[in-house]
Amino acid sequence: MNRKGLVTAIVCALMVLVAYFAWQLVFFEYETDTYTTTAELLFTIDHLTKLVPLLIIGLLTAVGIVACIVVRNAIMRHDGQHGPFSARIATAPKGCVHGRRPSAFMVVRWVCMVGFFVVTVFGGVLLGVRYSWISIPVLSCPANMSQLTEASCYYLAHLEELAGLPLMGIVAFVVSTLGFVIVFGRVLCGFVCPMGLAQDVMHKIRQATKVEGISMTERMYQALVPIRWVMLLLMIGLSFVGGNFCNFCPAIALTPVAAGLSVSLYASGFLMVFVLIASFFKRRFFCTICPLGYLMGLAHGVQPFRIRKDCTACTECGACYEACPMGIKQLYTEREKTDVTDVSCIMCGECVRCCPEDRALSLTFLGKDVFVSKRSRVVQGYRR
Amino acid sequence: MEYAGGAQEQREHRRKQRFATKSMHMTQKYLRRMRDLGGTMEQMEPFFNVLERIYVQGLEVERPRNVRTVGTYCVQVPQELIYAAGAQPVKLCSGHYTAFSIGDDVVARDACPLVKAIAGFEHMGTLPLYENCSLMVVPITCDCKKRIAGLLQEKWPVHPLYVPANREDENIEHYVGELYQLMRMVSCVTGQEVTYESLAHALNLTGRAQYELSRFLRIKRATSNLLFGTHAMAVMNAASYLDAGTWADALRALNDELERRAYANKLVSRKDLPRIMLTGSPIVFPNLKIPLLVEEAGGMVVADETCMGERGMSDPVVPVDASFDGLMRSLAIRSLRPCPCPTFADNSQRIYRLRQMVRDYRVEGVIYHVLRGCLVYDYEYRLVEEELEGMGIPVIRLESDYTDQDVEQLRIRSEAFVETIKLKKGPLKAVRG
Repeated sequence: MNRKGLVTAIVCALMVLVAYFAWQLVFFEYETDTYTTTAELLFTIDHLTKLVPLLIIGLLTAVGIVACIVVRNAIMRHDGQHGPFSARIATAPKGCVHGRRPSAFMVVRWVCMVGFFVVTVFGGVLLGVRYSWISIPVLSCPANMSQLTEASCYYLAHLEELAGLPLMGIVAFVVSTLGFVIVFGRVLCGFVCPMGLAQDVMHKIRQATKVEGISMTERMYQALVPIRWVMLLLMIGLSFVGGNFCNFCPAIALTPVAAGLSVSLYASGFLMVFVLIASFFKRRFFCTICPLGYLMGLAHGVQPFRIRKDCTACTECGACYEACPMGIKQLYTEREKTDVTDVSCIMCGECVRCCPEDRALSLTFLGKDVFVSKRSRVVQGYRR
Repeated sequence: MEYAGGAQEQREHRRKQRFATKSMHMTQKYLRRMRDLGGTMEQMEPFFNVLERIYVQGLEVERPRNVRTVGTYCVQVPQELIYAAGAQPVKLCSGHYTAFSIGDDVVARDACPLVKAIAGFEHMGTLPLYENCSLMVVPITCDCKKRIAGLLQEKWPVHPLYVPANREDENIEHYVGELYQLMRMVSCVTGQEVTYESLAHALNLTGRAQYELSRFLRIKRATSNLLFGTHAMAVMNAASYLDAGTWADALRALNDELERRAYANKLVSRKDLPRIMLTGSPIVFPNLKIPLLVEEAGGMVVADETCMGERGMSDPVVPVDASFDGLMRSLAIRSLRPCPCPTFADNSQRIYRLRQMVRDYRVEGVIYHVLRGCLVYDYEYRLVEEELEGMGIPVIRLESDYTDQDVEQLRIRSEAFVETIKLKKGPLKAVRG
């Protein structure tokens, strides 16, 4: 059995337990704070003090990651197979494999993610306008009033409040949310969502330090499916039984805190620590259980963005599956259909970037190629 | 008593000498036939020279002093791991007729000639290529390979590599474990630890060879008849006995020349020769008789789907995760997933690969090569034949052994096959040609 995975799973479970007890605590609540972010205040010391919760979350994440690695190495040392090599995982080793060149698509994706992070944190304050009638279905917490637009997740988690809105409000919400879902779908997850950026940054940190991650198998992905359903049920249903999904939602500990907003974090802060640790070891972990993303993915049949495959060109080398943060296996096993867009595809383009066969995979918009796989992209960097 | 022992030794010595001379002649003959085909380029010489060096001059693999060689057999052994441990990998799958005739008496009658040839070299002990190996890595891909692992153990340290029958996630996990064990074994032999740095270095080394090979195949695909298929196969065979860096350098020079020739439209033959693809059992130097016969008969081997050729080398390692384990995983994945070897229970991807190659190289006929006793490939013939017939591509099954005795029979069949395709293409042209 995959012992490494087991060890990390145990440590993660411990973190969940900690998060449960945190429910009893009030984590960093500003009581009667009247601080509101303004454009002038953004770059002052005063604003920096408001970021203390983020620092605490970052610190706890670092401690958690180091703990995971230490525990794992201690257990692994006696493993006959990987044991002798486990020690060397702890320190960032020298040397790198330079096969791939950065692609324009990935640069655009990162620019988008960072740009939209700024917009979702204090876009409204910076630009001085706020389009509160536009609801984008991403996890940029609506508690943060300084962002440029509204996020759909609040009314999705509080459906009874949506019913209480004036008619125009309901129409604006439904039209903008559905519009974004149908036109972009989970492209939003890969390009816009601030939670996605936070997770991708964690992944980048792991790549830079060359720490061993968790390689998920198909069985492990399947084990996450029930968790996703529970999350979805909690998000939609909790408000009907008097609960509040926002008290759990890790997203509240990201953009509102970054904007310097005074909110009560409850369990969210600790769950955010858990999400960050998990996404450090497994890329985009939260996306695999994200209820909002799953709802958006349901519309994958009609979205204009698609992943297409030339089944003859494919050699089933599985590089796409290995690269896919969502574990979509049909990318390489599919042998007949030309469309391999999946409900969980976030259009991050990793599969296309890693595919070594010419034109085997392509990301298309309305049938036009946006990003096409190329052998030269995969091996170009080796040229001397 | 002492005298008798001496006589025995002398007899043995003479036998070995005879073997060495005979095998030298055999290799020379095939090298000569390869050159006689015409269309050789100056840039191909390094590849021919290394084949000559190993089999005719009987020298060892060219390498820095104090670097040990590790013998590997199938394509499932990641060469990167061996480079990372500071050793030099050599591929020992053999195509030698003289060694085959010796091995014929050593191993079971129905064993495949490839294994018989290996057993022959093991038995005679004259070829430094084999004798100087510090370790042999034998992936268990078929019954013959399993038995040969046992046989080689008598003389060398052998590391059998368990190759799973499927390519599911669990199998990959298991194979990663196998590779960790292999890495430790090679490290023990060389006394050099595998570090992240050395593994990354090895990946970059083979990556460069991979890059040049991709280029080579791309040029070959884009402009046909730039070089004879036999020569292309010899070039890829030479990779077995050369350091990846040296091979990449030599291939780079050849690629540059081919690009020049493509630009000047300088071809080695008429453009309308029947375009033939080889597939099936391994075709290992010096057993190049089938591509030679086809091209001597006026065909053109535009592509090959065999272990020592495009199948074994064309898939790159794609490191996705930068961690040490991630690199190991990428090696395991590359060894199993894209490999259309019939050792895997479900090998339908080989059919897709063939279909793609037929499309890419505009193939007009396929020769399915089966070594006598090579059951795994023989099993797949039926599927391949059905698929190709559906595409309207004629296919012929050529069974051969490591001997010159069946050459005339093979010649008649391959000539007839080439003629059939010519007739199909256009009878008038064929008559004039």
